[in-house]
Amino acid sequence: MQEEFQGEARQPEALEFEADQVSYEYERVPALRGLSLRIKAGERIALLGANGSGKSTLLRLLDGLHFACAGTLRFRGAALTEAAMEDDAFAFQFRRRVGLVFQNPEIQLFNPTVFDEVAFGPLQLGWPREEILERVHATLEWIGAEHLKDRAPYRLSGGEQKRVAIASVIVLDPDVLLLDEPTSMLDPRSQSQVIELLENWNNGKKTIITATHQLEILGEIAGRAVVLERGAVVADATPAEVLANSEVLESANLIHSHRHQHGGVPHKHPSQYLRHEHPKS
Amino acid sequence: MHIPDGYLSPSTCAVMYAASAPCWWAALRRTRRKLFGRTLPLLSLFAAFSFVTMMFNLPLPGGTTGHAVGVGIAAIVLGPWASLLAISLALTIQALFFGDGGITTLGANCFNMAIAGSFAAWAIYHVVSLGAAPDARRRVVAAALAGYGAINLSALLAAIEFGIQPMLFHDAMGAPLYAPYPLRIAIPAMMAGHLTIAGAAEAVMSAGLFSYLRRNEPALVGISPLAVAGAERGARNLWGALAVVLLLTPLGILASGTAWGEWTARDFANSAARARIAAASGNHALPAAPPVGLARWANLWTAPLPDYAPHFVKSAAFGYLLSAMFGVGIILGAAWLGQRLMKLAKPRSEP
Amino acid sequence: MSAGVMAKTVRGFTQALGQTLLSEHAAREHGLLQALDPRVKLVGLLALVVAAALSRRLNVMVALFGLGVLLAVASRLSLLALAKRVWLVALGFTAMIAAPALFLTPGVALYRLPVGSLAITVQGARSALLLIARVESAVTLSTLLVLTTPWMHLLKALRTLLVPVEVIVLLAMTHRYVVLLTETANQMFESRQSRMVGRLSGQQQRRLMVNTGGVLLSKTLEIGNQVFLAMQARGFRGEVRLLDEFRLRGWDYVAMFGFAMVAVAAVVAGR
Repeated sequence: MQEEFQGEARQPEALEFEADQVSYEYERVPALRGLSLRIKAGERIALLGANGSGKSTLLRLLDGLHFACAGTLRFRGAALTEAAMEDDAFAFQFRRRVGLVFQNPEIQLFNPTVFDEVAFGPLQLGWPREEILERVHATLEWIGAEHLKDRAPYRLSGGEQKRVAIASVIVLDPDVLLLDEPTSMLDPRSQSQVIELLENWNNGKKTIITATHQLEILGEIAGRAVVLERGAVVADATPAEVLANSEVLESANLIHSHRHQHGGVPHKHPSQYLRHEHPKS
Repeated sequence: MHIPDGYLSPSTCAVMYAASAPCWWAALRRTRRKLFGRTLPLLSLFAAFSFVTMMFNLPLPGGTTGHAVGVGIAAIVLGPWASLLAISLALTIQALFFGDGGITTLGANCFNMAIAGSFAAWAIYHVVSLGAAPDARRRVVAAALAGYGAINLSALLAAIEFGIQPMLFHDAMGAPLYAPYPLRIAIPAMMAGHLTIAGAAEAVMSAGLFSYLRRNEPALVGISPLAVAGAERGARNLWGALAVVLLLTPLGILASGTAWGEWTARDFANSAARARIAAASGNHALPAAPPVGLARWANLWTAPLPDYAPHFVKSAAFGYLLSAMFGVGIILGAAWLGQRLMKLAKPRSEP
Repeated sequence: MSAGVMAKTVRGFTQALGQTLLSEHAAREHGLLQALDPRVKLVGLLALVVAAALSRRLNVMVALFGLGVLLAVASRLSLLALAKRVWLVALGFTAMIAAPALFLTPGVALYRLPVGSLAITVQGARSALLLIARVESAVTLSTLLVLTTPWMHLLKALRTLLVPVEVIVLLAMTHRYVVLLTETANQMFESRQSRMVGRLSGQQQRRLMVNTGGVLLSKTLEIGNQVFLAMQARGFRGEVRLLDEFRLRGWDYVAMFGFAMVAVAAVVAGR
């Protein structure tokens, strides 16, 4: 099954996305301001930010669902504009290569059965019937949901729903996977199942961009952390470096300092995720 | 108002499907052309909303509860074509999945409620609100009337479909094969419940949702967000108006003579009556014999209380009042009965 | 009438949701009808419903009803549940509607009431019986179809009846969101109920219901827009496509033949 998910061979270090001073606003509320970012093939990136920081919006721009009001966003050199997406050939290629898993299962899972959900993508892209059937069954088996195929997605548990949501996107074998808060609202066991699934799928060749505000999983899911605050990039470094930078984290509303006492001595921690020593009282 | 299987003959069902099909087809083509693809999820969502709305038990003035269909607000927001699709979808789900309303009669139900209802609601709303300011109360009243009118039109169509069954479809002995009540019973029986309860429920829902949308999402009801201002009251004025009309009915006692046009065949033979008719008609000469149609059809129906006076009551005025009380009592009783029937007609309820 | 109306509405929602659960359960049993191809079931059972509708004879309708009962047993459906949810309910409302017809249908008097001048006519009695029999057999057969077939299979089978693909997808999506909106409305009402102290006036309740409707409508539109994005993200460009896994097998051909024979016989005998 691993062979199924090889995708196109890409040169390491080839540029997948290039955002140059991208701005986007919705109903006169700015969501992205002059954001610049370069993403290379094979990177695993975490987009960190609080609600309203623009990370969901950025994912949607990267997936060609909304288009920049100012600045340019390129995918493999081609500008991602509304006009570009109207071209069938370009659109089909793009949709095949880039996939987005929405956070909300009510939105991501709009089909009546799990089978239909996973078959939707290949069906829209016009694959031949037999190939679709084969790929759908293979994917369902791979994520361990074959026995659920005739069930309604809304009847599944949170963890099962998330696995089906991911399956519905990886069935197309994209090169780039965009995930919007994949583990929030999941219990710890489901969380680690999802993270493991993504690791197995990745196998080092895919580009994965995960938007999240959960700092505790950062190290597991990414090799590069980009912090967003109010629509712009405020930090771009390795997870360890970003986690150590409590100023940025606090400003971006990803942590808050908390105070407690050790035997009569109050002190302040920048973040509970950092290793630290308590002062000996 | 949802007609179940078995009440309409197959040919009636086929005719209603044939009437609905071109409307569905035309609606699909129109919505397909607009904003390709975007309307698909919106239609489904609106249909789902309509379906859920149909389950609300709306408390109405007077202590009854009713159910709205949502056709009023759907027609105003989506326009008649998309609305007829959305309501048809909701009705189809109800029939197919929940067994509420028949499958053979789905064409008829869609025609009555989704198609005729949508166009009626849309037309009434636009006519009544013509020229009104965006925040005018008249728009809310228009929405209420749109819902009310649509439901009653649907009920009337259903009543007609019911009522023609015994006339057209009976066995050798004369027993009706399908719905057993002729027009003269079917129409009043159905309209009683809808003119009062179901119509009121739809009016309340349409007006209420319209107000809500005008305040929160004005673009949806075709109003620029900047134009909405001020407080609005609901259609309470409508109820006030109806109550006033009800109280004024005894004024009828003061009228004398026979209303113009309400003559019997016998009046044409009576010379005193002839003189009165001629005087009331600009002194036009009367034909010697009653018109053929009048003679034939005038005695089709003998009312239980002819001329508003039961034969044992000597005073005309008292007879009139008695008839009024009886009439109102019948309407309210029929409304109550109609509501019980509608409740029983939902297979979801536990017996 | 304070919590009464809202409680009733919440109960209605719960029942509707329960109905969906019941159908999913019945469709997974290993019975006769469940094993058939959905297309065969759709056309076959609908043909029988039409035959019941066309029939002018009581015995044909009763025979079709009996067949329905046999099929229900063979498909491991609980007759008790069917009786409660389908037969008694249909009997109840049909009897209420048909009862006045006993007296009002003109014709030969069968039985005169001791008081007044009302009489049950032969034609009235026949008409009432025919109506009840017709409704019961039609309702039984259509319920069999719905209970023994997974919902999505039923919708996809509609292609056989030349229903356009868009309509099927629309129906599927509508159904999916009916469940979501019903749950949402349920939660809204329940949370209101738990916060309610004392009675609300009729007008207050009306306002509450309408406001709930309004919030639900806003949510509806929001979801609708978002779902469009999600569909686009997976390649949807306006053309609707469907995929089914239906394959006809031996038993399906036998069933097709059986349905055809019974339907034709019923139509001929019922004239």
